[in-house]
Amino acid sequence: MKLLLRFFIAIAGIILASSLPVLIAGWLKGEWRWNIYFESIRTTVQELWPINEMAFFNYRAQRPMPLFPNVFDYIIYSLEILFLALLVAVVVSLVLTVITMLLSEKSRERVKMALYFLESIPDLLIIMLAQLAVVLFFKQTGILVSKIAAVGDDRIYWLPVLCLAILPTIQLYRLAMLTFQEEERQMYVDLARALGFSRVYIVLVHMFRNAVVSVFFQSKKTMWFMLSNLFILELMFNLPGIMLFLRDNMYPAGFLVAVFSFFLPMFFLYSFGEWYFVRRMRGKGAV
Amino acid sequence: MWKQPYFVIGFSIIAFFLIGSFVYEWIWGNVPRQIYYIMEGGRAVEGAPISPNWQFPLGSDEFGYDLLGKLMLGAKYTILAALAVGALRMLIAVPLGYILGTYLDKHRKWISSLADSMHYIPLTLFAAFVLTPVLWMPPEGFTNTIWERIGIQVVIMALLTVPIVAILIANEAALLRDKEYILAAKTLGAGRLRIIRQHLYPQMREKIAVLYGQQVMETFIVFAHLGLLKLFLGGTKVSYDPMFGDPPMSISYEWAGLFGSTFRYLQSAPWLPLAPVLFIGLTIFAVSLMMEGYLRSKNPKVKKLRKAKVEEPLVEWNREQLRNNMVRIKEQEMVKAEE
Repeated sequence: MKLLLRFFIAIAGIILASSLPVLIAGWLKGEWRWNIYFESIRTTVQELWPINEMAFFNYRAQRPMPLFPNVFDYIIYSLEILFLALLVAVVVSLVLTVITMLLSEKSRERVKMALYFLESIPDLLIIMLAQLAVVLFFKQTGILVSKIAAVGDDRIYWLPVLCLAILPTIQLYRLAMLTFQEEERQMYVDLARALGFSRVYIVLVHMFRNAVVSVFFQSKKTMWFMLSNLFILELMFNLPGIMLFLRDNMYPAGFLVAVFSFFLPMFFLYSFGEWYFVRRMRGKGAV
Repeated sequence: MWKQPYFVIGFSIIAFFLIGSFVYEWIWGNVPRQIYYIMEGGRAVEGAPISPNWQFPLGSDEFGYDLLGKLMLGAKYTILAALAVGALRMLIAVPLGYILGTYLDKHRKWISSLADSMHYIPLTLFAAFVLTPVLWMPPEGFTNTIWERIGIQVVIMALLTVPIVAILIANEAALLRDKEYILAAKTLGAGRLRIIRQHLYPQMREKIAVLYGQQVMETFIVFAHLGLLKLFLGGTKVSYDPMFGDPPMSISYEWAGLFGSTFRYLQSAPWLPLAPVLFIGLTIFAVSLMMEGYLRSKNPKVKKLRKAKVEEPLVEWNREQLRNNMVRIKEQEMVKAEE
């Protein structure tokens, strides 16, 4: 019930945001256009209602096309890249964290410091360097590792996923390091050590279970950051995803369709995760 | 703070860019030097865009303008705008967060889930969507000046994530408010305003400073992203000539524009888009250095504690030894029992 309420509040927030440009355009002229703003929200919502009748301009076909089922191709491709990158980032960062936790205190601090500064690399730089590297490699050896731009409807996967995953990996890695170190100060770790369990066993079995929960709760910001990155990535690789679709339809209804297409899966992912972890914590207490 | 090497290095990088930018304009004017081709032994060896060499450390653009000069001239716009966005955002969000966390605590839950919906809208997308009417030149030309547009852009970008930052501060304040010493202050008759001023704010000063640094870094990234979308700081000059239209151009030499308008040269003249992004990265790095230095100056204990922990003597149980001892004691007991 509470979840449903939160779901509708979030939808209301997104709809309120979708017509903001109208308000700002009025503000530039020095007037408050509340009437037009609410009018725009009303027409946008009305437009959405018989949702299978909506038509959008398709950049690749150069003509308006009905929204469904065409848009699913875009959405699925974008979500595939987003979640593949997320999966890679989570797995790699957790594996690296566990390995780093086994190192000495001093080298751990060094790794944390390095990660902190690595976080300041702009995502654009990573994408551009990756594209340059692929071309350079191709020129040197004649092997095309991956296409650097999608032409027409063909799909490239691993290079965009790699580019998208690097920065979230660094962020999650640092986040996980902080959480694991916090966890290490807990009493039960001392107890386990006193009982003679090996360090690997404690980190992998006991700390991992507890730390993953708080990493999950803090990962929302990384996810938000990844969405912005996905947008840029699709532009730079010319990927036929939902963000590119949005660029051709920069008006309230298009904005709503694009935002909803990843709002829904992400909201369910987070709600499910929250529900699962909260239930587990209540059921057993700290493991 | 000024004794921390991290802080000083970060500060000097940013100060170098800012002061250098104004000094450059003061000495050489606001047009960078231009060269069409490089002569070598009476022959032109390279035309614009010229690749990086000793005379032009970062090469030149497609019209022969010195890229380093352009970057130096543009530094002040980008850096000052990003600092201003962060400052304005904090100025609005901090009081708002405190009000939410103290006076309006009953409503904090639903307001925070409303602000939470922002987390599903990519920031760049949202900024581009909202800023397009401001920055994209209409066919009849801009009606306002460049400084007005920069001002409007700064205000809008500051407002965009105010809800998220305000909620962050409100939650933090609500956490602190349940602490005993604040309850004690309340019992002694302190009003809410006094609690905010005397207890909550001093407690959270470091967090707020770090948050400010993060906002500035985020703003730099969003500027760069907007540059890719051809929405430049202070407006995009668009040529509506259907036949010989120039590509969209930035009005000042700010970094987002330098990057966004040259991105298509990535393969042919990679230094053109790479240099501005590198500069942006360097500035972000400088900000994070300053943040780290600031934190270290405020908590010098961190280092001492760590050292103390390392020096703690470690008692290693030697299992072999223990076992041998146990066996020996057991044997002695058995011998005694036999006797």
